[in-house]
Amino acid sequence: MWRDASTWAAEAAAVFAKDWRCEFRTRYALNTLALFAFTTLVVVSVSLGPLGVSAAKGTPVLPTLLWLILLFAAAAGLPRSFVHEEETQTATALRLAATPSALFCGKLLYCLTLVAALEVLITPVYLAMMSLEVHSPWLLVGTLAAGGYGLAAGSTLIAAMIAQARGKGTLFAVLAFPVLLPLLLLAVELTRHAVSGEPAGMALTQILLYDGTVTVAALMLFPVVWNP
Amino acid sequence: MKTILAWLLWLWMCLVLYGAFLYARPAMGFAAGQSSRIVFFHVPMAWVSMIAFLAAAVWSARYLLGGRRAEHDRAAAVAIQLGLLFGVLATVTGAMWARIEWGAFWNWDPRQTSITLSLLFYAAYLALRSAVEDAETRGRLSAVYALLGVVITPFLYFIVPRITFSLHPEPLVNADGKIDMDSEMRQVLFASFLGFTALFFWMHNLQCRLQALADRKSAHFYE
Amino acid sequence: MGNGGIEWVVAVNLVIWTGLFIYLLRLGKKLRKLEKEP
Repeated sequence: MWRDASTWAAEAAAVFAKDWRCEFRTRYALNTLALFAFTTLVVVSVSLGPLGVSAAKGTPVLPTLLWLILLFAAAAGLPRSFVHEEETQTATALRLAATPSALFCGKLLYCLTLVAALEVLITPVYLAMMSLEVHSPWLLVGTLAAGGYGLAAGSTLIAAMIAQARGKGTLFAVLAFPVLLPLLLLAVELTRHAVSGEPAGMALTQILLYDGTVTVAALMLFPVVWNP
Repeated sequence: MKTILAWLLWLWMCLVLYGAFLYARPAMGFAAGQSSRIVFFHVPMAWVSMIAFLAAAVWSARYLLGGRRAEHDRAAAVAIQLGLLFGVLATVTGAMWARIEWGAFWNWDPRQTSITLSLLFYAAYLALRSAVEDAETRGRLSAVYALLGVVITPFLYFIVPRITFSLHPEPLVNADGKIDMDSEMRQVLFASFLGFTALFFWMHNLQCRLQALADRKSAHFYE
Repeated sequence: MGNGGIEWVVAVNLVIWTGLFIYLLRLGKKLRKLEKEP
């Protein structure tokens, strides 16, 4: 069944716009993400900052903590994109209104913008509070982009799955973390390279490969998840 | 499985035991030489665990594409349960061997780490199944996750070695990769692998039938 | 773990394997019986 490309794009855009419109009314996800991320950030900073972590010790550890903050904030704030639909029973209307792939892309874009906002908010504050000097800032930006994309893509698919199950909050973490693990390992490694100034090497290729693979897999599997 | 086949398998495993302990010589270059014999059980179980997960993905695909039949969903779930069992046993035997050989249960050996991480993934599969009540939804979502596993697991296996090697530039020897194997060891290893594979399919068959009976009983209960 | 202990290890393994097989065979028999019921 051939769908007109402009219709598909219009559907995706409509889903994206709807989600943001709803989001601006309540600002629930933004608040959750921001609050969670900042709280975690403060905990990390207060426990490590006063100790004065040296550059040598900081380089391996601090990137890990940054990505943990991003991961947990995402787990707190992203699943809502689908759970909300089930709770308010708008899911059925969505099933009628949009093709699954367009819906997925709309939701993905929404999660992506949330993650991007989160990263823009958290990363500079984190770097400042931990006095972390980044020698390859462009690599860091690239890593945040690629890693953020992977985070959003994986989370969108898993969110769609857990929306139809019980124990949504914890189940999301249980299912998503193993899926996101390769991404996190790569993102942390790349961030370390960005901080220390080493070249990115294979990790950059692999993280892009991960992003591509998860996107393709999600596009193929989402219709199965979405349609009963 | 016919009784005679089962006893043939038993005979085969007895041969494997003989081969593992009395026929093959202990591997060269290991401090507690005889302990390397554990490789004849440790490695095949790890391989069977991976085969189990792959089989689960195949059954999951069949479930989704072949009419959403309960038997395929059941086969996939049982395969993953058994895959976890063999995987955990492989990890435990590997850790035991690591303790004997190199003094520590855990060495961040790439293979040791990769298999544990993928076991996490499949344990999550079981968590997913227990969180969905409706049988059709459960089958559908589980199948998706099992197929996702096929996509994600290779990443774990390719990324982790690079990371563990970069953190520990001189890692302790790959628990099973760098063994200098002579032909006798290879024969026993292969024989053991065949035996464990047959064992897996036998256990799978039994567990599926058990599960089917239980499902039938609980279905009648609600009528 | 010298060569002296090897026979003992083989014997233990044999016991475990045989026990496992007997268990699985009996499970199979029980299943066949239950499946025959209507």
